[in-house]
Amino acid sequence: MNIKNLKKWLGSFIFIGGLLFIFFSPGMAGTEIPKTKLPVLITSAGQSPDVMTINIVAEEAEIKYDYCDVPTAELLGAGVGLADKEPGPGFHVEINSDLDKFPKGTPYKTIIFAIGASLKGMGASGLTVESEISRLKELIDYCKKNNIFIIAAHVGGTSKRGAPGSDNERMIDTVVPFSDYIIVTKDSDNDGRFSKIAEEKGIPLTQIDYALDLVDIFKQIFQ
Amino acid sequence: MSREWKIKAVLVIITAAVMAIGGFQLYSHRHYMTPIIAGPGVTKATKLSEFFKGLKGTKADTNVFFLEGKEEGGKILIIANTHSNEPAAILTALVFLENAVVDKGTLIIIPQFNNSGGRNTKPGDGYPLYFEIPTEWGNKKFRMGNRNASPLDQWPDPDVYIHYPDRQLLSYLDVRNTNRTWPGRPNGPLMEQVTYGAMQIMRQEKVDIAIDIHGAETMFPVTNCIVAPEKAMRIATMTSLTVKAREGFDNHVEPSPQGFRGLSHREIGDYSDALPFLLEAPTPFLDQPTGPKSVDFLLDGKDPFLVKLSKKRKLFVPYDETGWPMDKRVGQHCSVILEIIRQYSKKFPNKQLKIRNIPRYAEVVKNGVGHYFHNPNETDKKDIYYN
Ligand SMILES: [Zn+2]
Repeated sequence: MNIKNLKKWLGSFIFIGGLLFIFFSPGMAGTEIPKTKLPVLITSAGQSPDVMTINIVAEEAEIKYDYCDVPTAELLGAGVGLADKEPGPGFHVEINSDLDKFPKGTPYKTIIFAIGASLKGMGASGLTVESEISRLKELIDYCKKNNIFIIAAHVGGTSKRGAPGSDNERMIDTVVPFSDYIIVTKDSDNDGRFSKIAEEKGIPLTQIDYALDLVDIFKQIFQ
Repeated sequence: MSREWKIKAVLVIITAAVMAIGGFQLYSHRHYMTPIIAGPGVTKATKLSEFFKGLKGTKADTNVFFLEGKEEGGKILIIANTHSNEPAAILTALVFLENAVVDKGTLIIIPQFNNSGGRNTKPGDGYPLYFEIPTEWGNKKFRMGNRNASPLDQWPDPDVYIHYPDRQLLSYLDVRNTNRTWPGRPNGPLMEQVTYGAMQIMRQEKVDIAIDIHGAETMFPVTNCIVAPEKAMRIATMTSLTVKAREGFDNHVEPSPQGFRGLSHREIGDYSDALPFLLEAPTPFLDQPTGPKSVDFLLDGKDPFLVKLSKKRKLFVPYDETGWPMDKRVGQHCSVILEIIRQYSKKFPNKQLKIRNIPRYAEVVKNGVGHYFHNPNETDKKDIYYN
C-alpha cells in the first residue's frame, strides 16, 4: 500500500469510527439533550445525600451553581446570591455563581432537583414528607410562572426507589411530571417509570449508565 | 493411690497439656515474623518510634516505609491493619510496597499499624492463627490478628474508655482499638501513643492524603464504601463515581459523622491538614451468623448462611454462592487508592502524585494478589524486612 492509499484508508477508517461513535455514544440514550441557561440553582427533592453528588458533578463540569437544600419559593425569587441567607443547622447555602456575569438578584434561569427521599435528611431540616412536598409544589409553581427551566435528576438507583406511594415515589410524583428535562440513571429507571412519565408528558429524557456521565450532560446543557 | 486421686491426676495432666500446647501455639503466633520486601520505590525504611520516641522497644512499634519520587509533589500515607482481622488491608499495602514506582510526590506506608493487634487473636470466635496466600513461588504465610491490641501489651482496660480529647464515652475495649484512639497523645495508653505517632508523621511530613484500609461485615451498612469527612467529600465522591463507571464496581461514599470521635476519618482531618479516607471492603468472615471461621472462608468469603440472609435481603452488598474473594477486595482497594490519587492530583496540580506499576481491580482479580508478591529467597537480604 502506498502512502496515498494509506491516507485514504485511514481517512475512511476515522470517518467510520466517527459514525460508530455517534451511533453508539457511550452511556447515553434517549432524546436530544436540550439547552438551558445559567444562572442555575441546585436543590433537593427529598433531602437525600444524592444532591451532594449532583453538586460535585456540576463542579467537575465547571458549572458555577448556587445551592440551597431547602429553598422556599420566596428565596428562589430572590435570585442569585439567595438574598445573602446565612447557612445554619439543616439549612445549607453555597453561592458559586459568577457574580460579574450574574450580579446578586439576577433571576435563576434553571433549577435542578436531585430526587431522593431521606427521612434523616428531612428530619435534619425540620421537614416531614408532607411539608417537603408542599415546599416542592410551591417551588415548581414559581418556576412555571417565571419560566425557570426545571431539570429532574434521579441518580440514586434502586435504593432511592420504592413501592408506589412510598416517600421516594411521592417525591418523583411531585417533581418529574412537571419538569422540562429528566435525567435518570439506568438502574433508577429499570422499571421504566421515568421513561413512561417522559412519554406521557412529552418531556425529553436522557438515560445514563452511570452518575459520572452527568459531567458530559451538564457540559452540553449549559453550553 | 485411690481411684479418686487417679482421676484428679489425669485431669491435671490433661489441663496442663492443653495449656502447654495452646500456650506454645499462641506464643509462636505472637512472635511469628512475615518477611516483607521493600520494592524498587522504597527510599527509606524506618519505625514509628522515629516519630514518637515513647514507642521504642514496645510491641506497638512498627515498620514505616517511604517511597520518595525524584520530583517533589503531594504526599500520601497508607495505613493498613489498623484492624488486623481485616487483612485485605496489609495485602493491599504490600502490593504498593513491593511494586510501586513513584515518579512524583511521596508515598508513606505503614503495613501493620496496630502491631500488637496483629499478634493477638480471638479464640472465642475460633479465628485461625495464620493464613496463606498462594503465589507463583509458593505460599506466603501471614499472621491472622485481631481487631484490638493484645492485653499483654496494654493492660488493664478501664470500665469505659474516655476518648481524648473529646471525653466521649466509648466501650472499654476501644481503649485497645486504633480506630478509636485518634488523634492520640504522647502520655496516654499505648494505642493512643500509636495514633499520636502517626499524627506526628502527618504533621511533620505535611501529608496531604491519609488512607486507612479496612474491611467490614456484609450485614453492616457502612461496608463497601469510602468514609470521608466534609473536606474530603468531593474527592471521595468523584472516586466513587469514576470506579463505578470505569471499572464497574460499587463503592459508595459515607459521610464521616462529626459526633462520633476517635475514628481516623474524623480526627486525622480535624487535627492535621491531611484529607482522610477510610476504605471498607466487604469481609464476610467478620459477620456473626456464619459457619466456622476457617482460612478458606477468610479468603473466599463464601458462606451458605450469608447466601440465605442475602435472599432475605438482610445484607448491604450483593452476595451469592461466589462469596466475596480476597482478590476482589484487594483489587477494589488498589483501584480506589489510585483513583483518589488521580482525583487529588487533578484538583491540586501543584501537589501532584505520580505512582506507577500498581494493578487495578480487574488485574488483581485476574492474576490474584499473590502474583504481586516477590520471593524473599530471591531477594537481596537488605530489601527484606520483618513484620
Ligand atoms: Zn476495621
